[in-house]
Amino acid sequence: MTHFSRLLLVLVCALTLSACVTPSSEPAPSQASTDIAFSSTYQAPQTIPTLIQNATVLTGLGDQLSNTDLLIEEGKIKAIGSALTAPKEAVVIDADGRWLTPGLIDVHSHMGVYPSPAIDSLADGNEIVGPNTAEVWAEHSVWPQDPNFEKALAGGVTTVQILPGSANLFGGRGVILKNVPSITMMGMKFPGAPHSLKMACGENPKRVYGEKGGPYTRMGNIAGYRDAWIKAKAYKKKWDAYKNGKSTDKPDQNLRLDTLMGVLNGEIRIHNHCYRADEMANMIELSKEFGYQITAFHHAVEAYKIAPILAENNVCAVVWADWWGFKQEAFDMVRENAALVELAGACAIIHSDDDTQIQRLNQEVAKVWAAANRMGMSLSKGQAITWLTSNAAESIGLQDQIGALKVGMNADVVLWSADPFSVYSKADQVWIDGALRFDRSWKRAERTSDFNLGIISAEGDRP
Amino acid sequence: MKPTLIFLLASLIGSGLLSPSFAQEILIQNAQIVTGDFSGQADPLDLLIKDGQITGIGSGLEAGPEAQVIDAQGKPVTSGFFNADTQLGLREVSAVAPTVDSYTENEAITASLKVSDAVNPHSTLFAFNRSLGVTHTLVQPSNGVGLFAGTAAIIKLVDDAIVVEQAAMNVSLGEQGSALAGGSRAAAMGLLREAIEDARDYAKNRADFNRGSRRSYRMSRHDLEALVPVVQRRLPLLVRVERASEILKVLEFAQQQKVTLILSGVSEGWRVAAQIAKAEVPVILDPINNLPVSYETLGARLDNAALLNEAGVTLMFTGMGWQNTHNAHLVRQSAGNAVANGLPYAVAIKALTENPAKILGIPDFGSIKIGAKTSLVVWSGDPLEVTSQPEAVVVDGQLQSLVSRSTRLRDRYYDSIRAQQAADLAEQ
Repeated sequence: MTHFSRLLLVLVCALTLSACVTPSSEPAPSQASTDIAFSSTYQAPQTIPTLIQNATVLTGLGDQLSNTDLLIEEGKIKAIGSALTAPKEAVVIDADGRWLTPGLIDVHSHMGVYPSPAIDSLADGNEIVGPNTAEVWAEHSVWPQDPNFEKALAGGVTTVQILPGSANLFGGRGVILKNVPSITMMGMKFPGAPHSLKMACGENPKRVYGEKGGPYTRMGNIAGYRDAWIKAKAYKKKWDAYKNGKSTDKPDQNLRLDTLMGVLNGEIRIHNHCYRADEMANMIELSKEFGYQITAFHHAVEAYKIAPILAENNVCAVVWADWWGFKQEAFDMVRENAALVELAGACAIIHSDDDTQIQRLNQEVAKVWAAANRMGMSLSKGQAITWLTSNAAESIGLQDQIGALKVGMNADVVLWSADPFSVYSKADQVWIDGALRFDRSWKRAERTSDFNLGIISAEGDRP
Repeated sequence: MKPTLIFLLASLIGSGLLSPSFAQEILIQNAQIVTGDFSGQADPLDLLIKDGQITGIGSGLEAGPEAQVIDAQGKPVTSGFFNADTQLGLREVSAVAPTVDSYTENEAITASLKVSDAVNPHSTLFAFNRSLGVTHTLVQPSNGVGLFAGTAAIIKLVDDAIVVEQAAMNVSLGEQGSALAGGSRAAAMGLLREAIEDARDYAKNRADFNRGSRRSYRMSRHDLEALVPVVQRRLPLLVRVERASEILKVLEFAQQQKVTLILSGVSEGWRVAAQIAKAEVPVILDPINNLPVSYETLGARLDNAALLNEAGVTLMFTGMGWQNTHNAHLVRQSAGNAVANGLPYAVAIKALTENPAKILGIPDFGSIKIGAKTSLVVWSGDPLEVTSQPEAVVVDGQLQSLVSRSTRLRDRYYDSIRAQQAADLAEQ
């Protein structure tokens, strides 16, 4: 395509936007646009039943079961227990000595929006044009051919939340994807999953915008949030009046305010990049001022300092096991962070925010588990794995479908070669909705990324 | 060392200004000694350390009444681990520029930058990483504006940090070298060739140069001076390079120019492993890297270390990922993953201990034998396992504290959460 024709295409799209996204008055546009445009086209494949026998099972809900069978039928977990019988067409797997966990969930990933190779041409994760870009959606940047997706799958990751970056006070909407090969983003999108809104505290916004009109300081950050929420409340008031029939003036649709209104309506979840304890406390104050719930603080290096406050306000801490020191607000790291959050009764989650770490999230949890027990806690593996499973599922509003091995849940399952709390353990097989998506014996991905074909040698795939 | 300096040190120790570093006697009992010869199982032995030196390895060893005795209860003991690529002591908070001394944007100093001039042994990163099992590291400069970043130093993570002031000359090729040279790998190679040839010319004609009767060079006198040990093969050239074709080019260059080479990065090393082995060039790599993060790492794979080893290449490790400085200790997680992906266990241990000692010429590091002054770590379990942690760390014959700023913070808040819970219970 020539430069000129590409420009023309952009212009055509811009002029005919109304034809692409049909505004709707019922319900509010924050919800309506997700329902109509860009909705999921994912469909679970038809599969034959699978019976996995004699495994050690971490249920994802806190328990560890030994010598347990798990039956998968029609994409769901049909039964879990001992001496289960399978339909005669079922695939039967002897998992003696091996472990089962729910498919792992990474609630902080930039796969697809900051893919490999990390070149400017593909860097689509941060709309660094102003401190409030609540109007952008990460899903519109996702490149499904990112070769990192299949590497994460080999590490047992079945569901990811793809977030925009953290340069802006309001970075835009995040999206939940199933980690399946697809040519389109819609083919990966988790059906019915709520959107999130990425917000960011602290150093990033003030560093990026300090010399570009602000915010220049943390107090400037807070002023920026408040100003936006005031506008969002006014916008919501107009829409509410219109929907209730109290006004016949249909408000003009505003993409940025749609997202914020979605938060105020409880439809969009706040996932807030925030490191320092005092700033997290300020953000909780802000949420009370404007009447919304913060779902989770991400990175949250100082979460352990305010763990009781997080518990009291029902906010999750989404953290690394041990990253630190790359900036001032990440200086006070303790390796027991997630465990201390758990100890205080708050919801702890381990995330990657990184395409290398996402391949071994089990090891990240194992490190925290070991450090916590050495500190003096008695934390079970069953409890610790909830940081990648049920707790993670709850933070993205999907706890009724994923994150636990119990009857009726989606059959997102990982069969580990050994105890997943070991560096030597690997995912042998990974199922999503009962379909086998990864098998270590295959030696290559189910359908490797187009990027990998013929790129290091004409005949072979990238390893 | 000159006699006057020995005298000065002795009088400082006598005056109490410096503590004598080899005064402790330590007996580690029932240790499973894990070295580069480890074959999976070993009978527990005792280790006696006197005046900083291993003086006994055997069963039922006895120590003096003042000795500190550690019962390892059959747990593994290794040499302290070595991370071959960190910026420990050069970097406290990466985004806080005044705390970072790993590179310069001053064109006036490239090859002559010595990181040993800037290493701060009081950095919080020392106690943290030492308590987690890394006792020694190669501190490498990174590139600011020059193709040559300067010289790397070998340090140990104690106050008396410097072991070898100048252990290698760092140069970046690959994408970074290309960018520094104006946008072409060919330009970077050209500048490298010119620098080495000029350094050789300068070394032969120093006197003429200083009289002003020799041609001028592109590099400063100090930078050329810094390269003289490289052309005289007294200092290895440590080249960062990823792409297979470029690795071959560097091997050819080193052979032509007769310089000693260490390769670093080598994501595509497995593709040219036989040639690297044949050239007897050791490599520093992070086994965890397996993504095509750039066009020069398209071939990155988790069994790179295993394939290089099979071809006969000598390995040293760094890691894990970009956290290789603040979490330098995670090099053992990278090593564990190399083993999970096919590298023999003993080779991984060797890459963390004996190999850097041998290749970089570190006195008294890396092997557990009578007479060695190595650092030692007693581990709670398999030293390559993510759930294992050090139970005792010995450096320079001294038991090291396992406290760090991080454990201080942890203990403060662990105590406060438990106190609040106890108070809540009492209220009910």
